[in-house]
Amino acid sequence: MEPLTWTGSFGSIIDPVFQLVGLLFIVAVAAQFIGAYVFAPINDEVHVDGTITRDRGANAIIGTAVRSLLLALCALAAIYIVAGVFAPIGKVGIIGAVAKQFAPVWIALVATFLLSISYKRRLGLYGKLFDSTVGMIGYALLMFWVYTALFVGVFDMIAVNDPLTQLSGMKNKLPGTPLRSVEEGQYAYYLLGGDNLARDVFSRMVHGSVVVILIAPLATLFAFMVGITLGLPAGYLGGKLDTFLSFLANLVLAFPVILLFYLLVTPEIVATGIPNYMAMILFVFPIIFFAVLLNSRFYTRPHLRNPLLAGVMLVMIWTYLCAISAEGTVINILPPTLDLFDIDSGILVVFVSVVFVNSPTVFRIVRGLVLDIHTRDYVAAAQTRGEGKWYIMLWEMLPNARGPLIVDFCLRIGYTTILLGTLGFFGLGLESESPNWGNTINDGRKLLAIYPHPALVPALSLLSLVLGLNLLADGLREESLRD
Amino acid sequence: MSKMADYEGPILEIDRLSISFFTRLREIPAVMDFSVRVMPGEAVGLVGESGCGKSTVALGVMQDLGKNGKVVGGSIKFKGRDLSEMSEEELRDVRGNEIAMIYQEPMASLNPAMKIGKQLMEVPMIHEGVSKEEAYSRALEVVTDVRLPDPERMLNSYPHQLSGGQQQRIVIAMALMSKPALLILDEPTTALDVTVEAAVVELVKDLGKKYGTSMLFISHNLGLVLETCDRLCVMYSGEAVERGSIEDVFDDMQHPYTQALFRSIPLPGADKNARPLVAIPGNFPLPHERPPGCNFGPRCDYFEEGRCDAQDIPMVNVHGFERHSTRCLKSEEIDWNAPITVGEQKEKAPIGEVVLKMDNLKKYYEVAANALFGGGETKVVKANETLSFEAHESETLAIVGESGCGKSTFAKVLMGLETATEGKILLDGGEIQDTAIQARDTKTVADVQMVFQNPFDTLNPSMTVGRQIMRALEIFGIGENEAGRRKRMLELLDLVKLPRAFADRMPRQLSGGQKQRVGIARAFAGGARIVVADEPVSALDVSVQAAVTDLLMEIQREEKTTLLFISHDLSIVRYLSDRVMVMYLGHVVEMGTTDQVFSPPYHPYTEALLSAVPIADTSVEKEHIVLEGDIPSAMNPPPGCPFQTRCRWKSEVPGGLCEKEVPPVRMLEGEHQVKCHLADDILARMTPVIKIAAE
Repeated sequence: MEPLTWTGSFGSIIDPVFQLVGLLFIVAVAAQFIGAYVFAPINDEVHVDGTITRDRGANAIIGTAVRSLLLALCALAAIYIVAGVFAPIGKVGIIGAVAKQFAPVWIALVATFLLSISYKRRLGLYGKLFDSTVGMIGYALLMFWVYTALFVGVFDMIAVNDPLTQLSGMKNKLPGTPLRSVEEGQYAYYLLGGDNLARDVFSRMVHGSVVVILIAPLATLFAFMVGITLGLPAGYLGGKLDTFLSFLANLVLAFPVILLFYLLVTPEIVATGIPNYMAMILFVFPIIFFAVLLNSRFYTRPHLRNPLLAGVMLVMIWTYLCAISAEGTVINILPPTLDLFDIDSGILVVFVSVVFVNSPTVFRIVRGLVLDIHTRDYVAAAQTRGEGKWYIMLWEMLPNARGPLIVDFCLRIGYTTILLGTLGFFGLGLESESPNWGNTINDGRKLLAIYPHPALVPALSLLSLVLGLNLLADGLREESLRD
Repeated sequence: MSKMADYEGPILEIDRLSISFFTRLREIPAVMDFSVRVMPGEAVGLVGESGCGKSTVALGVMQDLGKNGKVVGGSIKFKGRDLSEMSEEELRDVRGNEIAMIYQEPMASLNPAMKIGKQLMEVPMIHEGVSKEEAYSRALEVVTDVRLPDPERMLNSYPHQLSGGQQQRIVIAMALMSKPALLILDEPTTALDVTVEAAVVELVKDLGKKYGTSMLFISHNLGLVLETCDRLCVMYSGEAVERGSIEDVFDDMQHPYTQALFRSIPLPGADKNARPLVAIPGNFPLPHERPPGCNFGPRCDYFEEGRCDAQDIPMVNVHGFERHSTRCLKSEEIDWNAPITVGEQKEKAPIGEVVLKMDNLKKYYEVAANALFGGGETKVVKANETLSFEAHESETLAIVGESGCGKSTFAKVLMGLETATEGKILLDGGEIQDTAIQARDTKTVADVQMVFQNPFDTLNPSMTVGRQIMRALEIFGIGENEAGRRKRMLELLDLVKLPRAFADRMPRQLSGGQKQRVGIARAFAGGARIVVADEPVSALDVSVQAAVTDLLMEIQREEKTTLLFISHDLSIVRYLSDRVMVMYLGHVVEMGTTDQVFSPPYHPYTEALLSAVPIADTSVEKEHIVLEGDIPSAMNPPPGCPFQTRCRWKSEVPGGLCEKEVPPVRMLEGEHQVKCHLADDILARMTPVIKIAAE
């Protein structure tokens, strides 16, 4: 079989057009940059009847040109994707074939956007996100990877080969190389080439997304639980508690992160069970958080509080015990019949380290926000009607600190993603053959000069996901400040 | 850079100006068809409630509307030149050089990282390119002009080292550095205390005369405008509704809104029975929901359907006056001198038993000199000093004083957020001074509740109105179940005259006055018997103030509540209180019935406070007393009498007694008590501060 080219036979018609439009776009952007200095600025004139005329200077024309060229570029890119999805494999080359594999993701994305945009006025802050172009781009990038992880992890779609299988003769092969011998039901190509152990780069990339999308938000969520549960009393009660907790936070922040990771994953340290004990402590915080949250709100209504609290606590404590207890580790308290799941020890170490280094920062943000909100009259009003401390912290203050916290949450998932990549890159935590992006980048690094594709593909994936999260955070921040 | 050439004719001429803000949903007209003229040396007041567009006009003059704002019609001419036709460079020249602006918050106008002197010197150095030495001497001159003590030290200090009043004087000095032709003052004294405000206002007035500067004075306070301005323009919902000289507008108003505005503010000289407050019904229309025709129509007593809402109302000149115009079709038909139709007067509930008794209450704070290591000597802040009084059922006791006088500390101790250092608080005979709020039983907590000052802060922004009231009911153990509490919550909304639909609204959907009503409903959720109202109306617009005040008094009548009304606004205090307690630096300096406190003999501080209150009535004559300096810090109070540093009667006390000893509490006639060394014959010599001229 012939190896696939990037755009296949379809590309021979459309590629030149794409290149021409791209070139024009670059020229137009340059012209816009220079024009801003040379020509007169654009003026809007408002008339008495409420209409606005924008004058037609040189800058206005260049601006229109840039916009329409950008639109044309996007349209052309969309044509590649649509053609790829519908044409047979090979007609639109590698791009087409990859687009075809991602078909469920496209459908899910389009559906999400159509639904969200049509109901955006009723969706609060989430709806306002669709008023900001930057936010929409960020959200699209994020959801692309979320849907990819979902379809790969749950439905086993998208990926074409097993991420761990090595096929003979595919070592370091370029993108689009066909398999030597295609068996029944096997995909005929390594779409994005093979790595130095002859594994499918494309499949490893999409499988890697599952690890990131699973761990990053969850670890960030846990870091927030720890940070909020400690930051609220530190800010609100102050005094010795605040001094002590802030000092602790500074201590953790002052320790070099990478060194900390190296220490945590050293086999000797793992053998002592320190990561398990840390998990034991860190995983308690969500339980404390929800117990206090519900109790402070509903203690005046025991009939509602008692069953509610009992139910929630039962589920949470059981989950907690399942999570910390695993056979073969220092903590093995739950009998195997009750232990529903075990967390892989490598993932546990990564998880614990990420939560551990992120929570002091969250702690400080929450503490600062609480110090600010502390002076509001509604807090004083709650105090004068004799509310408990935790009710004031969790129900009066926390909801009003949500804006900055949501933005920080998005940014922090980005940091966590990078942190996971870094950990993988240093081979910390997860097994070396795991398809996560950090590991694959490290694997590909060795032959980067000769075969860049095994490292480039996961690197670009990591970039796009973190970029998406940062843009989303920007969009959210901007939209939450408006109106 | 030089100034623009001298120009004969109006300094500022705004002609049919319309300004709109563009949001993602719609265009919001902020100012419509607004015209005003400021002649050289003239001070023009711009009065209106918040949201009426008066600040937008000022920003329009500065051509600083942000990227959402646009002038959509009309013109702003400064010295005959259209500002919208000027280039960026020309505008930069005009701003700060020809037009200077003073904002409400002085700290926001000063660079906290730069010494005062440097900030002042920058102005002539940038605009006129003068040398450093000359700039310094100019700065020194101006600082002396704004009557700041020790000008050289002032120039060498950072903004945070000065008090609020001093900062505002520096801002004024900065505005005057370049000798501008036009000074725009946007609520310049709202953030200051009354006595400091009076001094700043006087300063602005004198400087205006000295420098011959024209002024555009933006304020919501009619009394202030009366004291400072020559002419006045009343705005309502984006439009000028009445324009004319101070005398014409105050005495011969020609627009129903102006009239309603005057009727809704209490005048300290007037009797509450002869001249009751009349609240303006309804709410200020949102900018995008303005009614057709006259904007004031739906709230106007003289509204005529089919006429007032038929077409846009033009501004017309009033016959028989010079430069007096109004935006009312019926101005000639309305009998402007008709007496106020007094509504049904409800009899006040008789004052009952003593509910609350304070006996020699003291509250001291210890402040460590070194907060980080806790070492060093500790300083004692005496926030409350020997507070003794009794409050009866159905009584309104007003607590008057400026910031730092200890009224908030007193409220905290009463509520149980702090415990007393010494002395007793007796609630129904039981001592509660040492019981913190957590240790108090539900009944005590529910009995003593508070209404807060800032309506935008008093409600939790992320909880519905109904939920917040229901939470209070829950805490006070009222109602058997959710349904019962919901029913009670709706009744409470009825009590404060809010529609029941508001239960499911978020606080941001409510106006300031409505939020304050919810705050009142919440305070009365547990059937409070003592309500501490901490400046409950001072942050509200005048037209809403009257309504909220009336509501509080009506609830008091029904529930026989003891109202502790904390305020610095003597007009409203006189209007609603039975007894008044004046505080200064933690001391009660004067206490008595309202009539006793508001008529001589006064404590010297009360006298100054009364004189400082701006009164929006041309027939009132005030004795002019301006207090020198600022309120001393409670950390470092003066020895002897707390007020001796600013007292104008000090010389009348022999032997420098004021500086040595804290005066004892003296009983005058009735229950009137005064903390002053002045001899009886001198007290007897005092004359009333506020006099109403015979008509």
